Amino acid sequence: MEPIIQVHELRKSFKDMEAVKGIHFDVAQGEIFGFLGPNGAGKSTTINMICTMLAPTSGSVIINGYDAFKQKAKVRESIGIIFQENTLDEKLSALENLKLHCRFYRVPKHKRTERIQEVLEIVDLIDNQKKKVEEFSGGMKRRLEIARGLLHYPKVLFLDEPTVGLDPQTRAHIWEYILRLKEKENITIFLTTHYLDEAEISHRIAIMDKGTIIALDTPERLKQEVGGDVIELGTEDNDTVATQLQSAMPEAEIKQEAGLLRIQVPSSDQFISTFLQQIHVPITSLNIRRPTLNDVFLSYTGRDIKAGPA
Amino acid sequence: MEGIFAIWQRDLMKFVRDRPRLLGSFAMPILFLIIFGGGFSGTMENLVMNQTSEIEDFNYLTFIFPGIVAMTLLMTSVFSSLSVIQDKEFGYMKEILVSPVSRVNIAIGKMLGASTVAFMQGVLMFILIPVLGVTYEWSNVLAVLPIMFLLSCTLASLGLLIASLLRSTQGFQLIVQVLVFPMVFLSGALFPVTNMPAWMDILVKVNPVTYGVDAMKKVMTGAADLPVAAQDALGLNLQLFGRTVTIAEELFFLVVFTSILIALATISFRRANA
Repeated sequence: MEPIIQVHELRKSFKDMEAVKGIHFDVAQGEIFGFLGPNGAGKSTTINMICTMLAPTSGSVIINGYDAFKQKAKVRESIGIIFQENTLDEKLSALENLKLHCRFYRVPKHKRTERIQEVLEIVDLIDNQKKKVEEFSGGMKRRLEIARGLLHYPKVLFLDEPTVGLDPQTRAHIWEYILRLKEKENITIFLTTHYLDEAEISHRIAIMDKGTIIALDTPERLKQEVGGDVIELGTEDNDTVATQLQSAMPEAEIKQEAGLLRIQVPSSDQFISTFLQQIHVPITSLNIRRPTLNDVFLSYTGRDIKAGPA
Repeated sequence: MEGIFAIWQRDLMKFVRDRPRLLGSFAMPILFLIIFGGGFSGTMENLVMNQTSEIEDFNYLTFIFPGIVAMTLLMTSVFSSLSVIQDKEFGYMKEILVSPVSRVNIAIGKMLGASTVAFMQGVLMFILIPVLGVTYEWSNVLAVLPIMFLLSCTLASLGLLIASLLRSTQGFQLIVQVLVFPMVFLSGALFPVTNMPAWMDILVKVNPVTYGVDAMKKVMTGAADLPVAAQDALGLNLQLFGRTVTIAEELFFLVVFTSILIALATISFRRANA
């Protein structure tokens, strides 16, 4: 099947800098696509171009078969965008906000009431629909924005930091809604987030830095590339253990840190069996963890995702 | 088309719900009515009576009232265009701009919202007619309504163009102050602008309010029935390129002004990257 988003050789230069340097990627229908990068990497510029809000210097973007720069209205109909900041009219009620959206997107008149109730149900706001948005909590506003973004049945939903500024419980709820929706409608989700644990749900993740895409793969494989598993081991004689391990497993990367051995191996399963056969020094502590997306991010960009531009 | 109506209706709905704004926008016109109507009418009445003996009972308020209504239209339509900047500040403009509504329809919808609000304010001013002790023919009052709406559209388009170029409310207020008051004073809304220095005359003639005010005064007061001398004294013989302009021409100018301003605002929305 044809990819729902095709980005080809996309470039954008501002007066004195090249913000996006000829990037290239596809997103498949029904995929959850994570788009990560430190601040100033060119993420927002890229998204703005994909969403028809910014003209590129060169290159092309095809969404749902339409050219994002020549068939803007068609592309706008095909996408829903949930912005990082509030874009609701707070002086109006939830229902009025949704009705206006139906009119902007020319949702067929006879389907409007039904669809509005349907999306309100997905985000659990049925009982609050007549209330003015300014009376809503932060989490309710987010949910309403998500509901509104779905009203016109977009093929692709862009989520720009959908849970920023929300408490952990609300964040979890928002994700529940998004995934419920994903299952129901099989829409494609294009996600940017600073919370790397949230990015884990993506089928594939692209990491952008300094205007180019430096990594693009499934979260699993990205993490594997970083170097298998990390084992933190404490024994009564670290030096001896380190020497013995190194000779038994030449591929392991062993470091001594703060009284612990930090061992990076391609696979912890193999390590454990070798370890049990070879080592006879008493163990004081053992911790095995898999690399997180933050390890991936660090190894690709050299900085933490929350840090500013280098 | 539906986009236009949705944008238009939203602005109207918000205006109707905002009572303080409704009342507040009355203060300025009433102040001007008292100052210019009360303070100025003695001088003007003497002036007109001296020019001609054909009029016995002349009330200057009758002539200044349409001007004050035009001023209300100007202030309200320009200030209502501020909603574009508020929509930018509160984020709603993004919702509109990422939707498939065409940019020209966004401009027209926003313009209609502001001009309808201004028009309603202008019509509300008619409540003052009995209080002021002035009288107009019913037919004339009805005939002036479409002119008022057209003038509102022109002025709202102007406000829209300015608002579409700006990002902050403060900047807008500054520009409006520099623009709105000269537009009022150089339009004939408050005093005749027939004997101005040449450079000022040019400003009067490029000011769209001039044509709206002139047309409104002529229609509302039935000026065609007045003696020529009185018309002269009241500045009701607006000249352009050496000849008196007709009401039809004035309305045509307003349509042209509006179309140009809307086209420019559309370009500005097209470039907008909210």
